[in-house]
Order: sequence, then structure tokens, then C-alpha cells
Amino acid sequence: MWLYLVRRIVLAMVTLALAVALLHVMIRAVPGDPAAIILGPRATAEQRDKLRERMGLDQPFYVQLGIYFVDLAHGDMGVDVMTGRPVSRIVFEQLPYTLVLILTAIAWAAVLGIPLGCYSAIRRNTLADRVSGILSVSVIAIPAFVMSLYSLLLFAVTLKWLPATGAGDGFFNRHLLLPAFAVGVSWVGYLARVVRASMLEVLGETHIRMNRAFGLPEARIVFRYALPLAILPTVTLLGVGMAYLLSGAVFAEIVFARPGIGTLIVNAVGNRNYPIVMGCVVVTTGLFVIATALADVVNALLDPRARESL
Amino acid sequence: MSNIHRSRIRRNPAAVSIPRRRFLQGTAAAGAFATTLPVSRVAWSAQDNVLRARGRADLDKLDPGFYQNSYNVDVMNCIYSKLIHYKPGRKWGWKLQAAEKIEQVDPTHIRFRLRPGIMFTGGYGEMTSEDVKFSFERVIEHDSPVKGDWGPLDHVEIEDKYTGVIVLKKPFVPLWNITLPYGAGHIVSKKAVMKATGDGGDFGMKPPCFSGPYVLDEWKPNQYAMLKRNKDYTGPDKAEFDEIKVVPMQDEKTAQIAYESGDIDYALVSLSSLDKYEQNPPPHSSIENYPSLFYVWIGMNTDHPKLKDINVRKAIQWAINVPQIMDTVYFGKADAATGIIAPGLVGHRDKSLVPPEGDLDKAREYLKKAGVDGLELTIDTLNASKWKSIAEIVQAQLGQIGIKLQVNVQDSGSFWTLGMESEGDRWKDLQLIVNRFSMAPDPYYATEWFTCEQVGVWNWERFCNKQFDQLNEEAIGETDPDKRGAMYRKMQDMMEESGAYRFITHEATPIMYRNNRMEVAMRPDGNPLYRYFHSV
Repeated sequence: MWLYLVRRIVLAMVTLALAVALLHVMIRAVPGDPAAIILGPRATAEQRDKLRERMGLDQPFYVQLGIYFVDLAHGDMGVDVMTGRPVSRIVFEQLPYTLVLILTAIAWAAVLGIPLGCYSAIRRNTLADRVSGILSVSVIAIPAFVMSLYSLLLFAVTLKWLPATGAGDGFFNRHLLLPAFAVGVSWVGYLARVVRASMLEVLGETHIRMNRAFGLPEARIVFRYALPLAILPTVTLLGVGMAYLLSGAVFAEIVFARPGIGTLIVNAVGNRNYPIVMGCVVVTTGLFVIATALADVVNALLDPRARESL
Repeated sequence: MSNIHRSRIRRNPAAVSIPRRRFLQGTAAAGAFATTLPVSRVAWSAQDNVLRARGRADLDKLDPGFYQNSYNVDVMNCIYSKLIHYKPGRKWGWKLQAAEKIEQVDPTHIRFRLRPGIMFTGGYGEMTSEDVKFSFERVIEHDSPVKGDWGPLDHVEIEDKYTGVIVLKKPFVPLWNITLPYGAGHIVSKKAVMKATGDGGDFGMKPPCFSGPYVLDEWKPNQYAMLKRNKDYTGPDKAEFDEIKVVPMQDEKTAQIAYESGDIDYALVSLSSLDKYEQNPPPHSSIENYPSLFYVWIGMNTDHPKLKDINVRKAIQWAINVPQIMDTVYFGKADAATGIIAPGLVGHRDKSLVPPEGDLDKAREYLKKAGVDGLELTIDTLNASKWKSIAEIVQAQLGQIGIKLQVNVQDSGSFWTLGMESEGDRWKDLQLIVNRFSMAPDPYYATEWFTCEQVGVWNWERFCNKQFDQLNEEAIGETDPDKRGAMYRKMQDMMEESGAYRFITHEATPIMYRNNRMEVAMRPDGNPLYRYFHSV
């Protein structure tokens, strides 16, 4: 297990380095002068040159990349050229809002989707299963922004039960409910369908049939023997899902005017604010690697076969 | 055996001992939890003496000497003072603020006298002419990106504690319209800034002290800027609100929903929603529409081989039907532009040389004169739907005279360097462009981008006319508004005669606000002057 963790960490660092290098290449391939955008139209050519120099953009590509890696190793992500604040501070100020949003979204989706999937599998081909299937596919098919807008109109504008925008004080409050609902709703459908499919497969396996032959209670068979196996693909899906939710959080943060890393990236890309873009990518890539590694570890804990293969 | 068990599961689905009721109870728990959370209707809504307003973007600079973007200046207006300020209302003008008296002594000298007793917070003492000198001269000394606002400023002479003279190298009329009453005109404390920065340079987002009726209490990036009443403020126009909370919201529709839900009490309205709100405004709300200063136009690169012939450019000018664009993209809520200088400003033209509707027959004539057939062109535009729609309408209109137009959509970072020679050779491929510049209330701010010196910088049409440049130079120093106006009108004629421009609109700025909570104070272009908002 420890060897596995070391391997994952090394792999994570390689992934991170590749992502940063790739992004450096992409940023330079895309037209657009950050100095012109940051300084505005009234700046002179000399002022723009000075800013480019300050941002290190006058250096060759490999030098810029080398400096970035050295700084990163020292925990320095650079300085935001717009506000003069450290990038790490800006990114880590915004990150908790995004993390809270996606974790809440995936948590409520899992709490609802997994039991729904189990129930559908157990009651296969009944009316309840069909209704659950239709609902699951519907929420997958309805774009999340449509759901966001209608939930805003219903709960914030018409009923005035919930605030429409902002993050409020602290992290867990009423402001979180609508965005978490919008981000997580399609995941209820996904999880229900995945759990149902894997549950049906597991329920048909020999050891389950053997349990039944021994006369074990059906609830024990389902929750003690079937669900831990059926949940494995779901755990992997949740790990990867974190990455999708990171990108999905962008729309929620804009529609609900919430702080977060999604809004930060969108603005930074538009402004060609390279230090912020790079800082965000480093952090989100790190998060993605951690999420997938965690999913593998949880898989290993749940399934001895997976543990052996690590 | 396996078949038997499978069929058992199928036949006897109720065999599993999870009662339906318990399942439903369990899965509904999360939903029930959510519905119990909202404790009272609009509990978070404004009930106190707080102005909650939508900001167009998050703050990124609060140093007036290095200001960027008007949304920063909206806040600066509240926390600092300046000699004069824009008069709220529908007509452009200025009023005294920190100055007790200000006068143009001669074309290059402006004498001011400060009101005694305007205090800086943090124990930095009274505002003096030394602070005025420091605030204005640091813009030039530190090579600020907005030093253009101060034009030919030479220095500020101190006569006594409160009196000073702004000395210019040559006459500069825009000083009264865009410098003194706007961003670069704010006065900061010399002592405080020197202490904070060491050299008097940019203090970014950390104002060392304040001199307005409000102070910046808290700035939570991407969440809000909270201004609080400055209890020590002794200047004119005291703070009306205990707090002003400016919440950045990029999306207009989100801001509208936030307004309707009670999260904010002042918001901009999108033109697409204006009709709806005018007919059915939210409770206790007033809707007002202000003409904006922005100018939108279709530009043509006069150096491009396909557009070198003026007849081709004229054909395009005459083929574009502006009212069609106004109806479709601006929902009939903004007016067609006659040039780059908006109504209400010196130099505004009553009508354009090419009528807004254009004339397809005339366009075909020009095209025939040019002797081109089967012309294929490109038009570059920003990736927002409004600009894409304008490009597509122009595409359809030019199609009527046989010009095939391809629309190239660009993201903002890429778009804003398209015509810059310093950014490679893309300017050579640039043909038509949907462009929009922001504007300050002085005609100089509009025309300065179209001089020969600006070719390949911001002048992407590469229009170069020596007479235009000369007029531009002379108009800066012309103190007679009638003569100055005539000069700018002539300059816009020259631009239009070159065939390189088809003026579209100055847009509009509709707003809505809670009239049972406030009386708004707006600039004539619809920019908020929060400092002068009244609490109801």
C-alpha cells in the first residue's frame, strides 16, 4: 500500500509538471498580449514592455518554464499583476468555496443516487424502477444551467426562500443550497444508473446466489455482500467526477455570482493574467490527481482484489 | 440453480426487507432538511440602511493615480475626495467637491483653493495643497498607465496651505471633463502614501487612508466590497447610508435575478429585459434608461488589398442598415450613432453623412465603380452573443450586394490585440471588424485613437489623415466650446468620408433600483455616483 502511495505521488508530480509545461506552451500559442490588456489602452509601448519584463515574458520559453518550476518548488506561484497580491493567496482564498460546492454537490448526489440505484436494482422492472429510470435520464439530459435558472426563479425570485447569489458568511449556509443542487442534480441520475447496473451484475454472481442458498436475509445479502462490490465503479466514477465538477462549478459560480476558482480561471484567461491561470491549473490538477488517487485507495479498501493489484 | 434464483428475484421483488416507507423517508430526508433551512421569507434581504449594489466586476485597483476600469472608480468616488466632481443628472457638468474655489487663470494655469477641514483618516491630518501636488504629480513621475489623463501637466505650485496652481505645458481642455472630476483627479495623503509605499508609487488594493464620506471596511475578493460611513468626514455631502455593499456580478441576468430576489437594490438591466421591466417592474422599483458613451462601429482595414479601393469601403458603408441592427441586437432601446461622439458632448454630430438606413442601390453602384465581383471578406468580432449577432446581420446585409462575409469569433484576449503591429502580423489579415470603445465625457477621448500615430496600435482601420491629426491637436487646447465642437464634427466627417467606418450606436445603460430605499444619483451616461445616492 505504501509503495502504491509513493508511486501515486511520483505520478502526480509528473502529471502536474506535464500539465504546467503544456499550459505554458498553449498560453504562448494563443494570441493576446497580457500587458496590453492589463495596462489598458492608454499605456505606452514602453510601459507595456516594462510590464512584460516584470512578468518575465521577455525571456525564452524554457527559461520561463524553469523559473516557474523553481519558484513552485519554493511554494511561490508568483504575483497577480492586476492587484499585486500573491497568486497562492488568491487561489487558496477562492479554492475552499469551490471545494465546498463540489463536495456538497457530490455528497447529496451520492446520498440520493446510490440508494435510488440500489432500490431500482432490487425492484428491477417494477413501476418504481421505471419511474426512477425516467427521472434519472431526465436529470442527466437537462442541462445544469437550465436547472440553475429555474431553481433560481422558483426558490429565490418567486418563493424567496433562498438567496439567489453570493456565498454569505462562512461556507455552509443557505447560499450553498441552490448552487449545490444545480451542480449535483445530474449526478443523482448518473449515480443511480451506474449503481443499478453494477448492482444487477453483482446480484447475479455466484457468491450472492450461494448466500441466498444458505438462507441469509436479503437485506444482509444486499448491504453486506452485494453493495460493497457494486459500489466500486461508483467510487471510481466519483473520483473522476470531482474533475468534471470542478469544470461544472464554473457555470454555477457565474450564474450564482459565487466566489470560487472557476470564476477566477475564466476571468484570468480573458485577461491573459498568466500567473493566476497557472496557479489555478496547478491547484486543480493537484486536486484531480488527489481525487483519483483517493478513489483508488477507497477501492482498495473495499475490495481486497484491488488491494492486491496495487 | 442460478436461473431459479434470478427468476425468484424477478418474481418476488418484495423479498428484500427494505420497507418502501423507510426508503422514501430516508431519501426524502435531505430534501426535508433543505426546505427547513430558509427560516423566514427574505430574511437576508435589505432591511437596514445599507445600499446593496451590483458591481460589474471585482475590484482590482484602488489607487487613483494608477486606476484601471470604471468599476474601480465607482468605489474611489466614495472613499476619496477630488477638487471637482461630475454633477449627477442628465446633463454633463461639474460641481465643487474638495475645492472651495477653482478657476482657469489662463489657458495653462488653474488656481484652486481647498475647503479647510477635510480630514484624512488614520490620523494623517488635514488635506492640503501639498497633498494635491503630490497626488497629481505622482501620476507623471511614476509613469502611470493613465498619465495620458493629465496630458501636458507640468507641475503644481503651492501658494499656501490650501491654495495651489496647476501648471500645464500647453492648454488642455479635457482636464475639466475627464481628469479633475474622474479617477486621476482624486487626492491622496502624501504622508500616508509615502509611508505605505516608500516611493509614492502604486498602492494597489491597500489604500492607506481615506478622505471621502465612506471608508473601505472590507474587501472580500470575488464576493463584495463593503464601504462604511466615515464618521470623521467633515466635507460636503455627508454619507447617506451606513454601509454600501458592492457585489460583483459579471452576468447581467444573474444581477437581475439577484435584484428580483432582494439580494441587491440597484442593478443594471440588460436591454433584452428592459421592455419586460418597463411594462411590469418589480415592486417598489424604478426603471431608468440612460444613453451611454460607448461607441460601436464596423471598421475596415484600409491597408488590406481587398479594401484599399475606397469604393469598396463606401459600398460596405451604404449596404449596412443600422436600424436593422438596432432593432435586432439592441431591441430598439438604443439609438443609431452619428459618429464616435455621443449626444450631449461637445462635437456630437446631429446626423451622419451616410444615413443610418444606408441604400443598397448606392452600395451596388460603388461596388460597380470598384469593378469587383464575387468579393469575399472576413469580419472579426468578440465572442459574446451581441457582437456575433451584429456580425451576422452585417453578413446578411452585405450578402444582398454580393459580398460574401465570413465571421471570425475571437476571445477577448485575442481580439484586443488583433490590429496591433507589436503582436505579430495578424493586422495584415484584418479586414472588417466589429469594434466598441469605452469613452469618457470629452471628445478628445474618442478621437485620440484614430490619429496616424495610433495606426497599428489602436487605430486598426489604419486611417491616417494629417488634417485630422492637426485638428485633434488644436481641439485639445480650444477653450471656446462652439469652435471646439465644430472641429470634432469635422474630424468625424473625415473619418466617415474615408469609408473606413460605419458608425452603429452609443448603446444605452438601463438601470433599476428600489425606490422605497433610495434616490439614485447618476452620471448622464448611467454610471452610478454612489456617494450622492440618497437614502429614503
